[in-house]
Amino acid sequence: MTNLINNYQSNVQLTRRGFLQNAAWMAGAVATGVGSWVFPAKWAHAAGPIKVGIATDLTGPISFAGIPNSRIAKIAIDQINADGGILGRPLEMYLEDTASNEQIAVGVVRKLVQRNRVDVVLGGITSSMRNAIKDVIVGRGRTLYIYPQLYEGRECTPHLFCTGPTPAQQCDDLIPWLIANGGKRFAFPSANYVWPRVLNEYARKSVENNGGEVVYEEYFPLDQVEYGASVKKIMDEKADVVFNTVIPPGLAPFIKQLYEAGFSARGGRLSCVYYDENCLNFNTAAEMEGLASCLDYFQNIEDPFSAELQATYQKKHAHKDNVLFTAGSASTGMYRGIKLWETAVKEAGNVDRESVSAAMDHAKIANGPGGPASIVPGTYHTQMNMYIAVAKDGKYEILDKAEQVHPKECG
Amino acid sequence: MEGTFQVLFSILSWTSVMVLVVLGLGVIASMMGIFNFAHGEFMLLGGYTLYLFSVWGLPLWFGIVAAPIVVGIVGMILERTVIHRFYAAPIAAMLGTYALAVIIRETVRSLIDGMYLRVPAPMDGLVVVGNISIAEWRIAVLVISLLVLLGSYLLVNRTNFGLRVRASLENPELARASGISTSQIYAVTFGFGAALAGLAGALMAPLLMFSADMGLKFLIQGFLAVMLGGIGTFEGPALGGAIIGSMASGLPYVLNPILADVLVFVIAIVLVKFRPTGLVSKWRR
Amino acid sequence: MTILNRVAAARPGTSGRHSRLLTIEILVLVLFALMPLVLVLIWGEDDSFFWVVFTTKVMLLSFLALSFDLAWGYAGLMSFGQALFFGGSGYVVAVMSRDLGISSVFIIVPMGTLVGLILAALLGAFLLSGSKTPSIIFIAFGTLTGSYAAERLARAWYYLGGQNGVSVSKAMTIGDMPLYEGFGFYYLALGFLLIVYIGCRFLVRSQFGLVLAGIREREERIAFLGYRVQLTRALVFALSGAIAGLGGGLYAFHEGFVWPALMGPLTSTQAILYGLFGGVSTLIGPIIGVSGIEFATIILIDYLRDYWIIILGFLLLLVIMFRPTGLVGLLVSERERIGTFGRPGVDRKSDTRGD
Repeated sequence: MTNLINNYQSNVQLTRRGFLQNAAWMAGAVATGVGSWVFPAKWAHAAGPIKVGIATDLTGPISFAGIPNSRIAKIAIDQINADGGILGRPLEMYLEDTASNEQIAVGVVRKLVQRNRVDVVLGGITSSMRNAIKDVIVGRGRTLYIYPQLYEGRECTPHLFCTGPTPAQQCDDLIPWLIANGGKRFAFPSANYVWPRVLNEYARKSVENNGGEVVYEEYFPLDQVEYGASVKKIMDEKADVVFNTVIPPGLAPFIKQLYEAGFSARGGRLSCVYYDENCLNFNTAAEMEGLASCLDYFQNIEDPFSAELQATYQKKHAHKDNVLFTAGSASTGMYRGIKLWETAVKEAGNVDRESVSAAMDHAKIANGPGGPASIVPGTYHTQMNMYIAVAKDGKYEILDKAEQVHPKECG
Repeated sequence: MEGTFQVLFSILSWTSVMVLVVLGLGVIASMMGIFNFAHGEFMLLGGYTLYLFSVWGLPLWFGIVAAPIVVGIVGMILERTVIHRFYAAPIAAMLGTYALAVIIRETVRSLIDGMYLRVPAPMDGLVVVGNISIAEWRIAVLVISLLVLLGSYLLVNRTNFGLRVRASLENPELARASGISTSQIYAVTFGFGAALAGLAGALMAPLLMFSADMGLKFLIQGFLAVMLGGIGTFEGPALGGAIIGSMASGLPYVLNPILADVLVFVIAIVLVKFRPTGLVSKWRR
Repeated sequence: MTILNRVAAARPGTSGRHSRLLTIEILVLVLFALMPLVLVLIWGEDDSFFWVVFTTKVMLLSFLALSFDLAWGYAGLMSFGQALFFGGSGYVVAVMSRDLGISSVFIIVPMGTLVGLILAALLGAFLLSGSKTPSIIFIAFGTLTGSYAAERLARAWYYLGGQNGVSVSKAMTIGDMPLYEGFGFYYLALGFLLIVYIGCRFLVRSQFGLVLAGIREREERIAFLGYRVQLTRALVFALSGAIAGLGGGLYAFHEGFVWPALMGPLTSTQAILYGLFGGVSTLIGPIIGVSGIEFATIILIDYLRDYWIIILGFLLLLVIMFRPTGLVGLLVSERERIGTFGRPGVDRKSDTRGD
């Protein structure tokens, strides 16, 4: 493992402005605008630095994911730089805040691609964000784009690589497990945008193929706060499993109201495929007790590399706030994406999009959060380990591990 | 049967907070003839006060009490410095308070780093009676709102202070001639309206995800409620708030929640079109 | 100041009654027309690209600001809903591009304009109809509700992309030639803006414009003279919608993306702020307002971080409290702002409007 240049003072207090001020890891960052930073290259090279653009939600409802995303990106880039960069060239990180707002995102991503001329963009968390920025990056911007978050699949655009789990990876094992450990009657409360819509299609098929049925499916605006009517319907339909795809900001009130209505108390099983250790930031441990999730990484899996990475992150950031390095926050996909891209650039010998894409098509890493990972050739998607875990008292208990699950996309 | 009770309770608790918000808005609109676009941000400040109390480890009940006091004082200060200039110009008032709203909202956003936060409630338990379970906090919200509404009604209609307020509203010159300091009354009334919003915000904050955008949703519903209920009385905004609040929380039971959302506004504006002075109109000039 | 102008106007041969306002207008035109060329000379094509694209966006937003000025500055309707027309046509155009593959500018522009016109005509008819004169507050909230309801609907309706909005991945085409954002689009936008601006200017300086001024000043008197006040206002409102729609259609293709908030209250209030900042009832004011705010934002934001938007709020508050005539009001006299109507050369008394 590489050595990190760790230079934070031990008396940094817990500050709520942790990210934007007194953030020692930001030392050396030059602010180039609200929500814009560049971490300048640490040495000079004839061909110039390799520019990595990170566009993620540092503020807004999705900031619980964007913040660890950006931190792990910095850690990965620092590690690469400590190893001498790529092709002898240092990596320069350009960070932009997409603010959980697609309108702002288009503007800042344009800056990355047109003004800063980055060689690759990694980022976007929600599918709506990805859809908003992908054309600016891949189409008009003619730049490579790596999308690190779990999502609904069906993204088969050249030069757009997905390093997060797909529905097949998340559902194929989870749904049968839920039927066995929850029941046959499924409820699909969902946020009204593309990810829940498409994921639910896949999940529904999986449920029905395994002998279950979907008794409730409803789509809400993202900022819905009153779920009384919907919770009542779920209870009336005697749903055994709530397969939730509501996201923040509507998430916390929904989970709370479901809990208050006594769903878990009556033996109901909650399930949500983006739920990870960070979700304690929006509900209490009691409200998420027994929740089942299937992700590419949990903090207490048995994998030495993952443990070390987690320790690195914790050492740098744990004292600041409760925003953790987790799989639901796209952070694992971000790390994976940067490392896979690193091998691709090394193989290609340059940063031209065409050659890097061609190399990326079969990129592999032996060590990543959750285990090894590799791009399945011709599909733009990543094969990785998947784990089923259940929340107990705010922590996750690993119940199942599947090795190198195929993403089953674009094939 | 139990289901119905739970449904009714849910509608009631939402509506009661709505009425609190609308009352504050209505009082300001009636007294000074201005529509306060910063009202949602007064709610935000109330919620933020509670959030601060939770972060500083202070008792949350104190936070609930502090919120209206803090926001009321802020309201009075704003009234004396900025708002009173707008009394003769309703449009300038709308825009000016909008600018104030931007300032307050973005300041809070910057203070909380743009994050969406969880604010704990002073009472976290569930009341379970047979098959019905209701959050203790929701009951508290309902009870507190009703008490405050009752108290406000008594204050405005049964006290000397309320008398002076009503006098200043109906005939400012005569009120001044009688020795009532209208500027003081205006300041206090504005502060009162702000305090109501602050309390509503603090009550609501544990039920939502607290963020800088909290006020916007209530603002528009609030204004429609005021227009619907009618300006110039105490009962008008209360009625308007009750209607809008119950429509907003009740319609999703019978319709698609998406459609219900839009329908509330469409119905409200159509109603206002056909009865421009509002449902309870005792507008005296 | 008014007295001086009265005196100045009374003297024959006073150079340029409109000189200041016209000078400003021509200056703005020249700036916009030459900017890309100057930038390319200084920075080269690559580095100036970002600014050309940015300025195109500013010009497209000018359509929105201009539409607000027509509605409020000339028809006296405080519209919190101009974004409904801007974003609404953006959506129609985006969906047409997605479902029907349409991308030709010859369809997009008329379509956008038409959509804006129809939406505004319908909303205007609803709000202004009836025997009682609707209050300013009612108009404000009626338009606000329209804008808010449209945003909520777009957010909810999956066909419109729901929360995601609609991507416009095709480029706009002129015949066979694709037009991505850049120099070509820049001059196209400028061309349309110029046409629209000149059209509006003629309108508000004509006899029709005189009626509008009368409605703003003494509504009852104008009605008494036999003019159909509400109909007139509705017509101007519909026109404002058409202009916003034109801009919105182009904006959708320029940004490559439409989203629910584009139709909502936040965007509508942006339009109001642009207008107020620059100065309403002047046509050029809102354009200056958009440019001022947007350029200041992107430049100053480098140095002021989070505080910029708070400062912007303060600036706006100050404008509203102390200088409601905006930036243009600083430079141009009251009389020039209002302007004269009809045929030139006729002596006009300065109006008694107090602001």
